[in-house]
Amino acid sequence: MKKLLRFLLPYKKQIALATLFMLISVVCNLTLPTIMSRILDQGVYGSAGSYAQIVRSCLWMLALAGLSLGAVLAGYYFATRITAFFTRDLRNAMFQKINEMSFEQVGKLGTAALVTRMTHDAGTLAWAAGLLCGSIVIIPLMFLGGTLLCMQKDFYLSLIMLATVPLVLGLVLILSKKLASLWEISDKYFDVQNGLMRERIRGIRVIRAFSREPREHERIYAAITEMTGHMIRANVTMELIAPIATVLMNLAVLGIVRFGAVRLERGAGLSAGDIFAVIQYVSIVLSSLISAMWAIIMLPHARVAARRISEITETETTPEACDESVQFSGEITLEHVSFRYEGADAAALEDISLHIPAGSRVAVIGGTGSGKSTLVSLLLAFRRPTEGTVRFDGVDAAEYSGSTIRRNVSCALQRPMLYAGTIADNIRMGDLSASDAQVAEAAEIAQLSGLISRREKGLGHVLTPSGGNISGGQKQRVSIARAIVKQAPIYIFDDSFSALDFLTEKALRTALNERIRGRTQLIISQRVTTAMRSDRIFVLDQGRLVGAGTHRELLESCPIYREIYASQTGGGAA
Amino acid sequence: MTKKKERLFDRTLLRLVQEARPIRWWLALSVLLCGVIIACAVAGPELLGGLVDRLYAWDGQPGLGKSLEPGLLVLLGIYVAQGLVTYGNQYLLNNVVSRFFTWRLRIRISDKLQRVPISYLDKTPAGEIIDRLSEDVGTMGMTIHGIIEILFTGFLQIAIITLFMFLSDWRLALAVVAFMPLSLLLSARLATKSEKYWNDMFNIGGDLYAMAEENVTNFSAMKAFNLEAHINERMAQINQKHNDVRQKGDFLGSIVQPVITFTNALCYIVIALLGGWLVLQKLLPVGTVVTVILFARQFSTPLERIAGGLSQLQQAKAAARRVFDLLDLDEEAPLSGSVPRPVTGEIRFEDVNFRYVKENPLIQNLSIHVKPGQNVAIVGPTGAGKTTIVNLLMRFYDVDSGRITIDGQDVSVCSRDDTRSLFGMVLQDTWLFEGSVAENVAYGKPDATREQIQAACRHAYCDRFIRTLPQGYDTKISEDSTNISSGQKQLLTIARALLADRRLLILDEATSNVDTRTEILIQKAMDRLMKDRTCFIIAHRLSTIVDADLILVLRDGRIVEQGTHKALLAQKGFYYELYQSQYAI
Repeated sequence: MKKLLRFLLPYKKQIALATLFMLISVVCNLTLPTIMSRILDQGVYGSAGSYAQIVRSCLWMLALAGLSLGAVLAGYYFATRITAFFTRDLRNAMFQKINEMSFEQVGKLGTAALVTRMTHDAGTLAWAAGLLCGSIVIIPLMFLGGTLLCMQKDFYLSLIMLATVPLVLGLVLILSKKLASLWEISDKYFDVQNGLMRERIRGIRVIRAFSREPREHERIYAAITEMTGHMIRANVTMELIAPIATVLMNLAVLGIVRFGAVRLERGAGLSAGDIFAVIQYVSIVLSSLISAMWAIIMLPHARVAARRISEITETETTPEACDESVQFSGEITLEHVSFRYEGADAAALEDISLHIPAGSRVAVIGGTGSGKSTLVSLLLAFRRPTEGTVRFDGVDAAEYSGSTIRRNVSCALQRPMLYAGTIADNIRMGDLSASDAQVAEAAEIAQLSGLISRREKGLGHVLTPSGGNISGGQKQRVSIARAIVKQAPIYIFDDSFSALDFLTEKALRTALNERIRGRTQLIISQRVTTAMRSDRIFVLDQGRLVGAGTHRELLESCPIYREIYASQTGGGAA
Repeated sequence: MTKKKERLFDRTLLRLVQEARPIRWWLALSVLLCGVIIACAVAGPELLGGLVDRLYAWDGQPGLGKSLEPGLLVLLGIYVAQGLVTYGNQYLLNNVVSRFFTWRLRIRISDKLQRVPISYLDKTPAGEIIDRLSEDVGTMGMTIHGIIEILFTGFLQIAIITLFMFLSDWRLALAVVAFMPLSLLLSARLATKSEKYWNDMFNIGGDLYAMAEENVTNFSAMKAFNLEAHINERMAQINQKHNDVRQKGDFLGSIVQPVITFTNALCYIVIALLGGWLVLQKLLPVGTVVTVILFARQFSTPLERIAGGLSQLQQAKAAARRVFDLLDLDEEAPLSGSVPRPVTGEIRFEDVNFRYVKENPLIQNLSIHVKPGQNVAIVGPTGAGKTTIVNLLMRFYDVDSGRITIDGQDVSVCSRDDTRSLFGMVLQDTWLFEGSVAENVAYGKPDATREQIQAACRHAYCDRFIRTLPQGYDTKISEDSTNISSGQKQLLTIARALLADRRLLILDEATSNVDTRTEILIQKAMDRLMKDRTCFIIAHRLSTIVDADLILVLRDGRIVEQGTHKALLAQKGFYYELYQSQYAI
């Protein structure tokens, strides 16, 4: 919780201003009852003929009320600004932090948790901050001011009022413990509910195909019911506080009247007006106390959100500096490279040594689980080898930052990852400085012209988040165009043609080879036909390199390659 | 975002009231309780005032304290009763109103999703729907029971106080009442203004959610292109927009109360001036002015609460509008017909036309005849409409014109579940839910025994790898599982279809994630699966479909060629070109 306070630091001045204005309004509000009772005393209970005095007091009151209004408006202006800015900064900090994280860190937290933290938890904290901003200054001031004024009137009577305070606070502390556990459970089921819904929307076709909608509905039903049950119990518990506190304070008022009468009789220098004033101050103290209780009760809720958020903002990440001066030629060497995922029994890649000369066209072929995608992760420095060395131009990749390496490697990833925005925006993500003509050219090479010409707005066609409104093959081609528009000495296409039919793939590859001639091109595939015309083919099987050579050589020497070839061509029609 | 003027009383409010019909008697009870609370709230200060008056009027005789005691006891009773009834009312409102609006609305959203057409889900980001389910309904739940209580008690209190004031002195009462519309109008204006910002805030909140989700799922693309700064910028922009409307909404919402306090002070001043003058003119006894002043002071609380309630109401309405939009979506019409059993599996497409969007006709005048037990392969370039045929067969989408029949029965009059229950389906896009391996495989046949599940997995060649998992068939897996590969996921979905054992089969790129060597292994299982069943197979790898009984070559939504592999090759047409292209890259 404390760690997040640093996000308030930039707004020190505004916080001071907000406090100042709130202070002014509190002082005004505390003075108003005094003036009111003065009017009563003067005009009503006092001597007749003092109409001028009444008018004067009324003017005073008008001035004070006006000042209070102005101050409170200014105070709220700054307070809402601070809250909004605090939330904005917090969210931005989370965005930036997540974007700086490593793959291991993101994997550990999980997609759903990250999204909840950026949205729901930040919202909860914003709401708590808003609550605090309005009350953190006013509450103690009202409380202290009310108590002091009360004591000034009569010390003993104020003791009666103060006696109720520990009772109320004790009650709040007990209840807030109970609330915290109720909220924790309802928050958990909140996550479950959202997770189930996300899963359900994603699998809608399979669910409907098997007519299992009722089951999915039931699962969510159960989570919603669990969540609501705990939430309502929490609310009902919370609602205990205000009535109990009010009754306690009212008891104090009764005590004050009764005991006040005794003090009056004994002639303790107390007037009936003083007793009346004390009763008024009790209501001020009471309302401040109840607001304070809300803040105390919200604290656990906010604390959970704060803890979850600070798990992100306090994660140790090292921003990677990109060294613009490093320019690869395109030569890649792997020396006895092994990689093992954290906690995995078997290595995903084991003792791989290979050499890719600059400017060559090579393919990596292998089945499911052969380690192809892990190899791509290593080349993009998403992950670093657990053993062995990856070298670019003979230099150990460990000497470069990840982003320096990735500046030199352009890759169309296995899963085409698109963003909300136009097709052009998505392509331009490969090279933010690319001109419209360059974007159009990349789209042309990626065989997108057909798709584009059918859309009214062409490249300006707007995609929904994650490219939800175009087909898998179309997404793949946008992703390829994005890789093409980036200028790099090394290009990797990770199973990028799998959703394309052969005619499209052929046209695309022909145009592509033309475009990136002389650059290193690495094609990862399951299809022999995609790989066979490469300068060199590496065959991976269960994390090991089992063959390397040209198509012809491998047909001779590598039984696994022969098997793959036979399985895909139905025995050798070529 | 709507440009139309926001009003306090509009269709959404009416709808909220209508929605509350089933709980109207509980609400009536709550009004009754509110009445009791108000009575206590009015009586308490009255009695207390009387007691304090006696302190003022004390003449020095002893026994003052004792004489107050009966009054104090009555007051004690009133205070305790007020506390109890207040809590009781809150208990009622939470358990009835809050539960009604949050629990029931969430259940209804979930229930609604069973019947919305897939086309809606295809074009709506998941984050958007989840945002409505969780955040919007949450906002309604947090605000609505408060609103009801606040508005009920607020108006009741005002009515009672007004009545008492008029009974005291009509002139002063009139002066006070004259200020009431001013306060109410002012707060209503502020509240409606803030609603516009709340609306914007919820909408932008939805975008923010979608973007956060997109950003996390596209994590590797961002890293691959060093786009961290660019993505941060995108997020910051939308965040800033959210920030702007939030601040405005918050500010307008929070100034309502101080404004009311101010008008109330004005009201007080007017009473003091008018009352003072009337007293001086001997037109009014002093005590009446005191009473009216005390009443006027009680005015401020309900007014503030009403104002607060109005601004909360705007928030609730903004959220409710989005929830009702979802609940009011057109549903798939319920149908009750069915294909007569046993099904032989003869399928016809007769002159079928279909388009996803108006301006782009996709499937045009498509006619296909598939005999029972035939294996039909559908090939063609990307975007030719292959997957669309699956969408139509499975009735994820309805044909625009023409008809599809199974065993001569037009399916458009049959229930969707009936049609779907005839099909087994394996898609390229594997979907696994969070649950055990066994549960996932048995998804299409929930009553399957463990033996049946294992047999299906053996046939789909995934039994071996399942056994290597930490808890075997009971290992928990999910969509995001990293402990199994995409190929293995696909094997599980094949096992799922094997176990479901349906008359008709759809394989849409069913083996695209499986490597070809494994595919050869599965092929035997597939052959068994396909035997005596009518099958639709979509595949890029043409080698996998050479044995099909009928190959349909699709191009731009039309069938350009059809026949067996041999016949089509001999034709040397489009299929021949496609087939050759796989060896010519």
